[in-house]
Amino acid sequence: MELIFGPSTQKSSKREYDAIIIGAGPAGLTAAIYLARAKLSTLILEKLVPGGLAATTDKIENYPGFPEGIGGEELTSRMEKQAVNFGVDIVLEEVLDVDFLSNPKVIKTSDSEYTGRGIIIATGTSPKSLNVPGEQKFRGKGISYCATCDAPFFQDKEVVVIGCGNSGIQEGIYLKKFAKKITFVEFLPHMTAEKVLQERVRALDNVEFLLNHQVTAFEGEEKLTGVRVKNRETGEEFLIPADGAFVYVGLKPNTDFLKGKIEMDNAGFIKTDEDLKTSIPGVFAAGDVRTTILRQVATAVGDGALAAKLLEEELGG
Amino acid sequence: MGLLKEEDRKYLIDEFSKHIKNPVKIIHFTSESNECMYCKETMEILKEVEELHDLITLYIYNFDTDKDMVEKYGIEMFPATVIEGEKDYGIKFYGIPAGYEFSSLIEDIMDVGEGKPDLKEETVNAVKDINKPVHLKIFVTPSCPYCPIAVRTAHKFAMANENIKSDMIEANEFPELSQRYNVYAVPRVVINEDRYFEGALPENQFLNEILEALKEG
Ligand SMILES: Cc1cc2nc3c(=O)[nH]c(=O)nc-3n(C[C@H](O)[C@H](O)[C@H](O)COP(=O)(O)OP(=O)(O)OC[C@H]3O[C@@H](n4cnc5c(N)ncnc54)[C@H](O)[C@@H]3O)c2cc1C
Repeated sequence: MELIFGPSTQKSSKREYDAIIIGAGPAGLTAAIYLARAKLSTLILEKLVPGGLAATTDKIENYPGFPEGIGGEELTSRMEKQAVNFGVDIVLEEVLDVDFLSNPKVIKTSDSEYTGRGIIIATGTSPKSLNVPGEQKFRGKGISYCATCDAPFFQDKEVVVIGCGNSGIQEGIYLKKFAKKITFVEFLPHMTAEKVLQERVRALDNVEFLLNHQVTAFEGEEKLTGVRVKNRETGEEFLIPADGAFVYVGLKPNTDFLKGKIEMDNAGFIKTDEDLKTSIPGVFAAGDVRTTILRQVATAVGDGALAAKLLEEELGG
Repeated sequence: MGLLKEEDRKYLIDEFSKHIKNPVKIIHFTSESNECMYCKETMEILKEVEELHDLITLYIYNFDTDKDMVEKYGIEMFPATVIEGEKDYGIKFYGIPAGYEFSSLIEDIMDVGEGKPDLKEETVNAVKDINKPVHLKIFVTPSCPYCPIAVRTAHKFAMANENIKSDMIEANEFPELSQRYNVYAVPRVVINEDRYFEGALPENQFLNEILEALKEG
């Protein structure tokens, strides 16, 4: 078993920075590395744990440089150490409010207040819920959104994975190391995961695929016992008996605290131009949080580097 | 030798030298029973950690034969690890402190070695006001990135107030207990048996959960 630890988090007494990055996922950490190397004082504010969503996935196989794949946590903790080595402050506080109109810009957190001359928003996304009956009730009682966290509770059990995009299929393959049987449910008539993942999942024993099916409810007494689905073609409804259900039906942007402060699309993703500038001068957005067609570590890292470079130029660095 | 990579060992030696000012006792209860999934591995980890600083001392007891110590520390299962400073704060790990929980172990040692929990002052003051017994059980898995937040907060609360005891419980090693408490997602925090919540809450919200539980109780 691995022994995992991050750089011990800091309590920063410093309040004024050249650059403040919100979110310590791959996008934020990369931006920080570039800014710190440009000798700008740089703070990252993170509400949970450094690493972001990438840290919650067992293995990343499509990020270049790791021919055998690399654990999501291992990859991001290396980014984190690299950022800290270049002098970045990482502080674990949630950003609750911002004032982008004052100069310098003000960032309010759960604990304190900071100012930055330039800001990069890299708050990423959170798993979406399905909003069907039973989902709230059975959350933590069979329904889970983190396979690496909760898979061991479903040893030799029957599990439903909802969503056949990259995340659903990839996490389903991991879950199959524990679960006896997995039923994959997908709303669309086809899977959207990468072809190599599709081939791999189809080769597993005891997996079933219900494409063009919609989840209508989660059922059970004290804990989850089944997932109700509807065939979207025939309208037929039936119950899949299950001890667990893992939900991977897309992502919603972590932008609630920015409502009305910055331009967003209808789904709440931040709009940027091709230089990653937002509607507010001096504020950039990078990674999964912005309107884009691909949300991956490789794109998040690319965004982070570009946003940092352009912010550096803007600050006259 | 060598669970810890050389670079990590160096890093920790350096961090520990900055933070540890007071003696830290790691009091460990093990067993030769073959029911014990990770007793050997847990002991190896603790032995390596002991080597990282002069002020850290590891004491090893046998759960089955060292009854006095088992009773003194209120140990219920094995492997169990207590992190003690100038006194026993009620900080326990049941099961292996590996994976992400290694970071909980390391940071607990630094807090205890520094002699104060890494909490906001207003939180410390509010925690100190609790005058009824509180027992926190934090169910975790080693592969859960959010779990150490819950474990650490609970352990810091225990450090701040002697009425609070808090145990990390590695769910894989104690399946019956996990079943008894219906644990299907981690971190699961159980407060005095009856109340629970899931997830990594900020310290003030965690504290509110405790205060609510005390009101009900
Ligand atoms: C199950 C799963 C599997 C995946 N597998 C792969 C894969 O194999 N390959 C791949 O390339 N990508 C994969 N991805 C996608 C990848 O994880 C993301 O594209 C990447 O993490 C995006 O990085 P980011 O920095 O933009 O955002 P995130 O990683 O989401 O990081 C954002 C950070 O901001 C923090 N934050 C949010 N709001 C606030 C606030 N108000 N204040 C402070 N901090 C805040 C969050 O806590 C988080 O740490 C996977 C994703 C999932 C869910």
